[in-house]
Amino acid sequence: MNQSQESTGPILTTDGIPLKVSLKKAERINKIRAFLLVLPLLAFILITFLVPIGDMLARSVDDRQINTVFPKTFEVYKKWDRQGLPSEEVYKTIFFELKNSEGYAVGKASTRMNYSKSGWKSLLKKSKRKFKKIEEGPYKEQMIAIDKKWGDPEYWLAIGQMVDPTTMGYYLNAVDLKYDSSKNIVQQKENRRIYNKTWIKTFKVSLLVTLFCLLLGYPISYLLATLPMKYSNLLMICVLLPFWTSLLVRTVAWMVMLQQKGVLNNLLVMSNLLADENRFQLMYNQTAVVIVMTQILLPFMVLPLYSVMKTISPTYMRAALNLGASPMHAFYKIYMPNSVPGVSAGCLLVFIIAIGYYITPELVGGKDGQMVGNWIAYHLKTTLNWGLCASLGAILLAMMTVLYWAYNKIVGIENIKLG
Amino acid sequence: MRKAIKAAFFGIISMAFVGSAIADITFVSWGGAYTASQQKAYIDTYSKGSSITVENYNGGLGEIKAQVEAGNVTWDVVDVLPDQAITGCDEGLFVKVDQSEFINDMVVPPVSDCVVPQIFWAYTAFYDKAAFPGKKPKNIKDFFDVKKFPGKRGIHTWANALIEMALVADGVKASKVYEVMSTPEGIDRAFAKLDTIKDHVVFWSAGSKPLELVSSGEVVMALAYNGRIGAAILSEGKNFEYIWDATVLEQEYLVAIKGGNEAEALAFMAHASSAESNAEQAKYIPYGPMRKSSIGIIKKGEPWFITSSGNIDILPHMPTTPKVLKRAVIGDPVWWADNGAEVHERFGAWKGS
Repeated sequence: MNQSQESTGPILTTDGIPLKVSLKKAERINKIRAFLLVLPLLAFILITFLVPIGDMLARSVDDRQINTVFPKTFEVYKKWDRQGLPSEEVYKTIFFELKNSEGYAVGKASTRMNYSKSGWKSLLKKSKRKFKKIEEGPYKEQMIAIDKKWGDPEYWLAIGQMVDPTTMGYYLNAVDLKYDSSKNIVQQKENRRIYNKTWIKTFKVSLLVTLFCLLLGYPISYLLATLPMKYSNLLMICVLLPFWTSLLVRTVAWMVMLQQKGVLNNLLVMSNLLADENRFQLMYNQTAVVIVMTQILLPFMVLPLYSVMKTISPTYMRAALNLGASPMHAFYKIYMPNSVPGVSAGCLLVFIIAIGYYITPELVGGKDGQMVGNWIAYHLKTTLNWGLCASLGAILLAMMTVLYWAYNKIVGIENIKLG
Repeated sequence: MRKAIKAAFFGIISMAFVGSAIADITFVSWGGAYTASQQKAYIDTYSKGSSITVENYNGGLGEIKAQVEAGNVTWDVVDVLPDQAITGCDEGLFVKVDQSEFINDMVVPPVSDCVVPQIFWAYTAFYDKAAFPGKKPKNIKDFFDVKKFPGKRGIHTWANALIEMALVADGVKASKVYEVMSTPEGIDRAFAKLDTIKDHVVFWSAGSKPLELVSSGEVVMALAYNGRIGAAILSEGKNFEYIWDATVLEQEYLVAIKGGNEAEALAFMAHASSAESNAEQAKYIPYGPMRKSSIGIIKKGEPWFITSSGNIDILPHMPTTPKVLKRAVIGDPVWWADNGAEVHERFGAWKGS
């Protein structure tokens, strides 16, 4: 039988096509059908998730904007030796490019140039208006006569940082470094170094919030998982009720509670536990951010913990106790290792949400509670420096990826349980 | 039950569509007493067909830039600060307007080609009279003097006006402030002065917050928008007192967003920037009109400001009276458009350190 089959070749279907081919064809149709089914979802993810992130990453290095406005200037600029002032040729080129350029393009370019050196914005605007009156060269003196900034080498040196179509400048800016005029990487001026401090603060606050959430959430979840149904339901509502309340309402409620003339301080003063002039400073600082964020993010710790603890059979503990372990020992040896998947899920969830938090630090952070998210919002809305926003965002993204990777190495991502 | 839910659902959806068909213009402003004054002064009185939906925002060009770049403009008329009026107009986010109607009637020339005049407002220091039973703070030096007047100060979270005020408190003449600010030493000097109150400040970012801080006693003095202080005194009967010294006068404009409902927006802006509308607004909030002829209308009509217990003279509460102007700093939006980013970063570093 076997031999005869080998001699007749592959198995054929009734219409003479080899079975393998026919099967493949049928499978292919199924595959296409399945693919078509998930296509909308895939497109949705692509459009709403990958494209924006890609766009953000592109923006963080993109520096073409001014290259399209002053292409010729940049050509002749490259020949300049960066000593003293550039030659008449450079002045002449930028004169014509500015004079003949489209207004909005100059506006956008000047916003970008202002990041490298404050003052470009008004210089370009004023010059564009006044250049109309200049008919013929030499241009250098006439331009300096319009505004003496044209005769300041610092403005010319600042252009050097923008010559390339891509830049690492935004990333440098995001970690308190910058390019000097000859494109060496140097430290930012001392009084403008803010981002490294902010990064450290953001990490510190997120870690503290995660830690406090764990310390508070673990016993609550344990109670939730072990109490009889009628009590645990009540407790669950206590956990979920604030979760369903608006974030803003909760934040403002904390402001009422914690401020210097707030409920807590007033109670302490009224009960003579605290002198009136020693009222606690619990609002508008980092302490406030940690307290309020811990309360807000607590459900994100409790819910995964609870769902994992619910699956730990009480018989394990009973068996351990039965075999002579002290309650502490049994808890440490049996219960805790079993709850680790919930702990890691909760911690990861809380940390990830905390690190990008914006609204709570904005409202209760005061002078030293501002986190990275607040700076992103500031540059997004006020300075329109979206390149810097993108680089700050990209660094956050990279940090989370590293964290996820490290977590996967140490604990293993398959050990996470959300329920 | 299911049917009812379904009906409700489609009802809401169709309402949303009908709503957007009627609402021709979306007008975006800062909320609170300020938006209320705009509503009464020239939104309610606008009868040229298009209906107006009002939204609030917290300033900045971020949302506008995002809308224009995405080609999905939902805001039509926005109330903006002068440095944003400059940047937005330069970058092509706003529609250029015909300014011939009002350009000769303005107290200061408009900052860009895209704006119609709104109001002057001012960063003003104030306190609750009850907080100082004895000697009362008289000038900006007292605001920066925590030895003479102990207690916390409420200040805003950005650097505008704070730099100017710090310099005046340090002895710079109000008219020379921007000259000093244009030198690096000048900025150092301002921050050195800010250092002296650093441990005594509470920051605010929403316009209503400083009033709350002073009312609750959380701070003894604060900086705020003068109109909010005025509204609290006039309408709520608060016991506040202005410190009319080194008030920093700022301009406020309306702009039309490019790609929005441009024709309708411009028609509405013409109405909103008329001398009558500018004057009308002062019935509800004590900001200074930007058109010269509006001040005449108000003078003639005093008592102009409307409260529940009868009208009150409004001119004493305005930041543009000669008495106040003599000691005021006229904010320079061009300086801030140029140097804002750098100073704000330094201010951020100062806050966090």
